[in-house]
Amino acid sequence: MTAAAPAGAPARAAVLGAGTMGAQLAAHIANAGVPVLLLDRVPDGAPAGDPAARSALATRALAALERADPPAFMHRRARRLVEAGNLEDDLARLADCDWVVEAVVEDPAVKAALFDRLAGVLKPDAVLTSNTSTLPRALLAKTLPAALQPRFAITHFFNPPRYMRLVELVADGEGDAGPVGALADFLDRGLGKTVVRAKDSPGFIANRIGAFWIQTAINEAVDRSIGVAAADAVLSRPFGIPKTGVFGLVDLVGLDIMPAVARALSATLPADDPFQAIARPQPLITRLIADGYTGRKGKGGFYRLNRTGGQRVKEAVDLATGTYAPAGKPRLEDIAGARDAAGLLAGDAPAARYAAAVMTATLAYAAAVAPAIADDVAAVDEAMVAGYNWRHGPFRLIDRIGAGRLAEYLTAAGAAVPPLLTRAAEAGGFYHRAADGAATCLSAAGRPAPVVRRAGTLALDDVRRAGAPLFRNGSAALWDIGDGVTLVEFTAKMNTLDADVFACLREAIRITGDGYRALVIGNEAENFCVGASIGFGLFAANLAAWDRLDAAIRDGQDTFRALATAPFPVVGAPSGLALGGGLEVLMHCDHVQAHSETYAGLVEVGVGIIPAWGGATRLLLRQLAQTRRPGGPMPAIAEAFTTIALAKVAKSAAEARDLGYFRAEDTITMNRDRLLADAKARARALADGYRPPPPPDPVALPGRTGAVALGLQVDAFARLGQATPHDVVVAGELATVLTGGDCDWTEPVDEQHLLDLERAAFGRLVRTEATLARMEHMLATGKPLRN
Amino acid sequence: MSRQAVLLAYRRSPHTAAHKGALARVRPDDLAARVVTAALDAAGVDPAAVDDLVCGCAFPEGEQGLNLARMVVFLAGLPDRVPGVTVNRFCGSSMQAIHDAAGRIALGAADLVVACGVESMTRVPVMGFNPMPHPGLAARRPDALSSMGMTAENLARDYAIPRDRQEDAAVRSHTRAAAAAAAGRFAAEIVPIDTPQGTVAADTTIRPDTTAEALAALTPSFQAGGTVTAGTSSPLTDGAAAVVVASDDFARAHGLTPLARVRATAVTGCRPEIMGIGPVEASRRALGLAGLALADIDVVELNEAFAAQILAVAQDLDLDWARTNTDGGALALGHPLGSSGARITGKAAQRLAETDGTLALATMCIGGGQGIATVLERTA
Repeated sequence: MTAAAPAGAPARAAVLGAGTMGAQLAAHIANAGVPVLLLDRVPDGAPAGDPAARSALATRALAALERADPPAFMHRRARRLVEAGNLEDDLARLADCDWVVEAVVEDPAVKAALFDRLAGVLKPDAVLTSNTSTLPRALLAKTLPAALQPRFAITHFFNPPRYMRLVELVADGEGDAGPVGALADFLDRGLGKTVVRAKDSPGFIANRIGAFWIQTAINEAVDRSIGVAAADAVLSRPFGIPKTGVFGLVDLVGLDIMPAVARALSATLPADDPFQAIARPQPLITRLIADGYTGRKGKGGFYRLNRTGGQRVKEAVDLATGTYAPAGKPRLEDIAGARDAAGLLAGDAPAARYAAAVMTATLAYAAAVAPAIADDVAAVDEAMVAGYNWRHGPFRLIDRIGAGRLAEYLTAAGAAVPPLLTRAAEAGGFYHRAADGAATCLSAAGRPAPVVRRAGTLALDDVRRAGAPLFRNGSAALWDIGDGVTLVEFTAKMNTLDADVFACLREAIRITGDGYRALVIGNEAENFCVGASIGFGLFAANLAAWDRLDAAIRDGQDTFRALATAPFPVVGAPSGLALGGGLEVLMHCDHVQAHSETYAGLVEVGVGIIPAWGGATRLLLRQLAQTRRPGGPMPAIAEAFTTIALAKVAKSAAEARDLGYFRAEDTITMNRDRLLADAKARARALADGYRPPPPPDPVALPGRTGAVALGLQVDAFARLGQATPHDVVVAGELATVLTGGDCDWTEPVDEQHLLDLERAAFGRLVRTEATLARMEHMLATGKPLRN
Repeated sequence: MSRQAVLLAYRRSPHTAAHKGALARVRPDDLAARVVTAALDAAGVDPAAVDDLVCGCAFPEGEQGLNLARMVVFLAGLPDRVPGVTVNRFCGSSMQAIHDAAGRIALGAADLVVACGVESMTRVPVMGFNPMPHPGLAARRPDALSSMGMTAENLARDYAIPRDRQEDAAVRSHTRAAAAAAAGRFAAEIVPIDTPQGTVAADTTIRPDTTAEALAALTPSFQAGGTVTAGTSSPLTDGAAAVVVASDDFARAHGLTPLARVRATAVTGCRPEIMGIGPVEASRRALGLAGLALADIDVVELNEAFAAQILAVAQDLDLDWARTNTDGGALALGHPLGSSGARITGKAAQRLAETDGTLALATMCIGGGQGIATVLERTA
C-alpha cells in the first residue's frame, strides 16, 4: 500500500482470472491501498473440502507475483492486501466488492458464462469491467442482465499494469456521472493511470494502431530485406519511439502474442479495414515460436543473448534465413543517411525508404480510423504515448512532418489520403493554439475541439507559455506557478546538480521569500535528478583544486540547509530516479510529495565518496529519531550505515519511506500527471501559519567505538569478497561520520559537527586514486567500478 | 573433604531456528522460567528450598537484561526469598552457572541451586544491540574481536581439515540427532512450550535428510574461498536449559537419586583467533583435577559450534566418536549461546544413565578464546 486509498476508491475489489495480467492487476490495485480478492477456476480434480488445492491457481499466481521483476508490488504491505481464492467457493464474496474486473481468457463464451454466474451475486451498485483487449463491449454487454449493463465497462490495461500508464475505458454514453465515472476517477488518482475514453471498436485505440504499425514494419522488413537491428534503429529515435523499435518490442511482449492479436483483430474488423490486407502470418515467426523463441520470456526472439564462451553477445535473426548473427549497433547516418524523421522521409537509402513506408502507412491508418476509435485526435495521441511510450502520438507526429506533406507523399505513392488528413492539411495541422493560449485539436468529425487539461494537473508547458522564468541559468530555472508558489526546475543533462543549480536554489530562496508563499522543487523529466555532476568533481580533483571541491561541498551543504530553514515551506516533487545529491535536496525539504514510481537512493559510494551535502547526517538523524527499535544508538547508526554503504535504491516511493529516505508523513501521488499539482497544493497548505523547523537537537553518538563495531561488519564482508578494498576505505569514512568522529557519548554533537565530518570525509576520499578511478569509470561507462 | 554437588534433574526447551522458528516470538525470560519450573518438577524438590538461581546468558541485555536470573525467579513463581544471579561467559555461560552452583555447594554456602541458561538469538542479536568494542584494543589486538566464523576457518587451515570432512561431521550430527529424536530420546529432556501459535514440543533444526552432497553445494559463509559454510556451522537458535544442582546431603535427606555428581570443573584461556580449540586444555585440566584420563570417560558431550572446531579438538584429544555426541550435537540441534552449557552437561548426565556409564565429560569452546569442561560421575 503506497498510501491510504483515495476518496471514492472501491472499498474492496476483485480480479477474476489469475493469469499474468489478472494477477499483476490485482497487485496494482493493492498498491493503491485497496483490498483485492484474486480468483481463478478450481483446478481439475481438486477435491471438495480442500481449500488450498481448490485455490491453487490464484495462490500460485500470487507466489509468482512476489518474485516478479520488475516488482509488481510497491511495498510488502500491498502483498498482504491480496487474497487468493477460487471462482466456486469464493464467488459469494464478490457481493462485498465495489469493483469486479474480469481478466479470463479472450473467449466470449467463457466470459459470458462467467458473467452469468456473477449476475445474482454482485451488489447493486458494483461496477463490473472486462480487461479484454479485443472484444467489443457491446458483444460482452449483451449477455448481461439489463440492470448490470450501465455498470459494465471495458477497462483495458497494458502489461505490466503497475508500470504501463494507459487504461482504455469503454463505457456506454453516460459520461462521468455514475459508477463508471467514479471508477474512472479511481483509475486516474488511485491507480495512477492515464484514462483514455475509447469508442467501442475492435482493439480500441492503442492496439488498433500499434498492431498495424508492428505488422507493417515486419512485412516491409521482410519484403525489403531490411535487417532487424536496422529496422529498429530507424523506427525508434527519429520518431520519438522507444529504442526497442518494433522487433525489440515484439520480443518484449512475446512473439506468440502478436499472431493472436492479429487473428482477433482480423476476425472483428470490417473486411475493408486496411489491416485485413496486411495481416498475413510470417513463416519465420511461426517457426521461431515453434522453436521456443517466443521473445524475452523464452529463449530469445528476433534478438537473443548468445552466452557461449562466457561472453554475452546480442544477436539478431536474419529475417530471410532464420539464422542469428551479432546485432551490432547500426548508426542512423550509416544505414539511412539521416538522423531525423524529416530526413528519413526524404531519403533514398533503403533503410530510409523502409522507415518512410512504415511510418507513413501507420500515420495514414491512424488518420483513417481515428473517427471510429476516439472522440478526437488528442485521445489517440494520448493512448499511443501512454500505451506504447511514444514521445508524440501519431497526430503530433504528422504535425511535425506536416499534414500537407504527408498527404502529398501518400498521393505520390499511390495510397489513399484519409479525409481527416485532408481536413488537417487544409487547416494547417491537427493541433492549433489560439492567441489567448487555448489549445484545440481536430475532433473525429474534423472540427476543432478543445484540448482540456484534466483538473488537478499542472503542466510546465503551460507555465512556460505563460511567461518568462523568474530566474534561469544553464542548469536550473525558477518559475511562478501561480497562487504564490514558485517552482525550481532542474534542466541540466540528466538533471545533474552543479554550482548553477545551487545558485538557482539560492535565488529561489531569495525571490520566494520576497513575495511568494511556498517553493516546489520538481520537474517533468523522466528522472527527478541523478545526483551531482561527476564531471565537475573529477575535473577539480585532477587539477588538485581541493579548495574548490571543498567549497562546492560547503556550497551544497549551506544551500540545502538554507532550504530547510527558509521562512516558507519547501516541497520536493520527485519522480523516477532521485539519486545521490538529488535525494539529499529532497531530504532537506519540509515535505516530499513523491510520485509512486520514485526510485531514491544515496548511491555515492558507487563513485567512491559518501553523501556530503547533508544526506548522511539527515539519514542518521532520522534513524536516531525512530523510536520503534530497542534503545541505544547503534541499531539506528547501523541502519543508516547499511543503507548508504550498500547504496540501497528504493524500488518505489513507499519503499523509500522504509529506508528513511522519505519520512512517514511524506505523501505519494500515483498519477505522474498530478504530481506537480499535488505538490503545489501541499505547499500552499503548509504555507498557512508556516514556521521553519528548529535545527535538529544534538545527538549522543558513540564515537570511535561505534566505528570499530561497524568496521567488524565491513571486514566480514571483505573476507567474503563482497566488499572490495576501496569499499572498506569508503565504508570506514562513512562509519566515522555516522558515529560522530572523535566524540564521546556524554557530549552530544550538533548538525554542524556532522556536516563538517561529511565534508572532511569527502575531502579525504576524493584525494584517493581509487575514488578518482571510480568517477572516471562511471563517466565513461555509466556503471560503478568495483575496485 | 568438601561436600559433593550432584545434578538432580535436567530439562530444556525445544530448539527452533532464530527469526523463523516457532519460539521466535517467545521472550527469553519466559522460556527460561518454563524450563526452570519443569526441571524443579522433575527433580521433585520444593521450590521454596532453592537457595539461588544462576542463569547463564551470552548477551544479557534487552529482554535478557535486568538481571535476567532474578526475573526468571519471579516468572517461575519461586518465592521472593530465592535470589538470582546472571552469569556471562559467552557460550560457556550456563556451564559456568553449574560450576558456580557446584562451587557454592562445595563451600557449604548453598544446598539447592538452579543452574540454567537461555538465549533468544532472535530477540537479542549476537553482539548485542549496541556493540561498542574498545577502539584501542581493536587496533592493538584485532584478534581479540575475531569473528566466530573466522576462528573456525583458522582452525580448518591450521589443522588442515578439508571441507568434506567438516561436511561428514555435520551429516553425522544430523543423522544421530534424527535417530535420537525418532527413538524418543529427546522426549525426556524437552519441555513443551506454549506459544500464542500453539505448543512447540520438538526440535526443528534437525535435518534428517541432509547429505554431504547437499552441503557441498553451499557457499562459504565467512571467507571467500573458505571451507566453513552455514551447513558446517551451528545454526542460530532460540532455546533454554536448566539443571537442578544440590548437595549430596540434600539429595540424601530428601530421598532423591541424583543423575550424577560433579567430579571436576575447569575453565582455561586460549588464543582468541582459534577459540574453538578451547575444549582441549579445559578438558585436560578437568580430567587432571579428577585424576582421570580421557580413556576412562564413557560419555563425551562436546559442543559443536563449528564442524572444523570439533574435528580440531577431536584430533588433539584423540576423541572417540563412538562415545562422543552420540545423540548429535549443536550442528544439528543449534547453539542458543547461553543455554548450550546446561544442555550438554545435563545431556551428559542423562546419557550416563541411559548407557549405564560411569564417567562423562562435557566441554565447549567460548568466543574470545576460552574453553570450559565438567567431569561428571554417576554414583547410583
